[in-house]
Amino acid sequence: MSAKASARTRRGPFIKPAFAAIVLTGVSLHAQWLNFKTPGVPRTADGKPNLSAPAPKMPDGKPDLSGLWNADRGYLVNIAVNLKEVPMRPAGLELFNQRKDGALAKEEPDANCLPQGVPKIDAAPVPWKLIQGRGEVTILYEAFSQFREIFTDGRELPKDPNPTWLGYSVGHWEGDTLVVESSGFNGKTWLDQMGHPASDALHVTERFRRKDFGHLELEITIDDPKMYTKPWTVKENPSLLLDSELLEFNCNENERDIRHMVP
Amino acid sequence: MRTNATSGTWFLSSAILLCAAALLFSVATLQGQWLGYPTANVPRTPSGTPNLGAPAPRTADGHPDFSGMWEAENRPCPKEGCADMRTSEQFFDIGARLKGGLPYQPWARALMEQRKAADGKDDLTSRCRPPGVPRIHTLTWPRKYLQTPELLVILDESTNGFRQIFLDGRALPKNPQPAWNGYSVGKWDGDTLVVETIGLVDGLWLDRNGSPMTDAAKVTERFHRLNYGNMQIEVTVDDPKAYTAPWTVTLNQYIMINTELLEDICLDNEKDLPHLNALGK
Repeated sequence: MSAKASARTRRGPFIKPAFAAIVLTGVSLHAQWLNFKTPGVPRTADGKPNLSAPAPKMPDGKPDLSGLWNADRGYLVNIAVNLKEVPMRPAGLELFNQRKDGALAKEEPDANCLPQGVPKIDAAPVPWKLIQGRGEVTILYEAFSQFREIFTDGRELPKDPNPTWLGYSVGHWEGDTLVVESSGFNGKTWLDQMGHPASDALHVTERFRRKDFGHLELEITIDDPKMYTKPWTVKENPSLLLDSELLEFNCNENERDIRHMVP
Repeated sequence: MRTNATSGTWFLSSAILLCAAALLFSVATLQGQWLGYPTANVPRTPSGTPNLGAPAPRTADGHPDFSGMWEAENRPCPKEGCADMRTSEQFFDIGARLKGGLPYQPWARALMEQRKAADGKDDLTSRCRPPGVPRIHTLTWPRKYLQTPELLVILDESTNGFRQIFLDGRALPKNPQPAWNGYSVGKWDGDTLVVETIGLVDGLWLDRNGSPMTDAAKVTERFHRLNYGNMQIEVTVDDPKAYTAPWTVTLNQYIMINTELLEDICLDNEKDLPHLNALGK
């Protein structure tokens, strides 16, 4: 099995139909177009990738977060998996209780090939490619082959944005951390598969820090006063995926899953 | 309405341009400031207006920089104004400017004629599928190009999707996974970026008429930014299964300033498809 295929299949249980398709195809992915060698990888004396080498830098001295990243496991199912308690308002709790046993799984947006929203898409079980460009950081998500733009040209969040699935994102640097603020969500997204709710008042802060060559720290703060009594924060740890590439993922191509979802 | 640096025209080709129609309706009310954010580093004339004829910008390594928001060529809007979207004739027939049209194989011509007679009711883009290569360049939605030394990314508003063109010197794969955007590598020929694509899924539509393309296709795109405001993409399709000879067309692209991509999720609240079949003649 290729490194890619093993990385894909090691990602743990995918319980959602939209992602089941790629798991099945992933098993047979031995072709060389996925094994393109990532250039510029630091090596140890014995030639192995040195994933704990220092994070690369941009010409302007900022850390370069660019690369192909694999989500941390577990957060897709339950973003609050490592939290003792989520400060839910009654409205949020009621919605969560309706969803958490899977009774409404058919209504989950990505089960219908609709976007996962932020920050759930960061936890998708397929990789994403971060490109740190001039004036914007772009994330190409293999999940449904979507992209997201994070403007780093100094603009502010718009006051009256068009409501969207992925929101409007701006980023700025605080030391070595890229701080991304997003709002303007359409209120239809779920924060995870269990169904932690989000409203159109959702404001997400993602703090990206490249700890070393192979590891990102991603601290996510959820601020949604309609659903939660106060902001709350989780920490995910995406890891670098070497010698691989994004695959094309058209969710609604030959889609046969939704009709089998119960109830 | 979206600020449009070039034509300012909007056009509705046919009722079957479903997703475009949805976008049109939403665009009509889009006065929000998030679209009016000024594009950085636009060359200006002494009077301060954008100088779209200024030289094409270059990257630090000296190559032309294709980065920016681009739209396809549209038919000119008459003086009295135009209520509808006015796509270029290449949207309907990518070979419209070729003498004698595309050199179809007999089966390919018959299929195109059949689809054309049905007013494109089976158009894959009407079913929220990606346009693929090279049709991406003739759709009415804008595209944003992002260029790094190793990669040219085309963000496509029509699908909220993206296409990657690798500039890092890798060879085309021998046995690629079939994909709507295929697998693309580019290399520089002077100031022209020459992009070769293989591995396209079988059965892509090249235009609204339904000119077919098979999985045997090799597509070569020569990207040339003539100046700040204009780009030409010379597209050669070599598909011996569907065409008797390779053919080449030029697709003009125009810069869009002071605007951004919108999020357009084709499947979101999709209500058009049931009405489509009624439109087929």
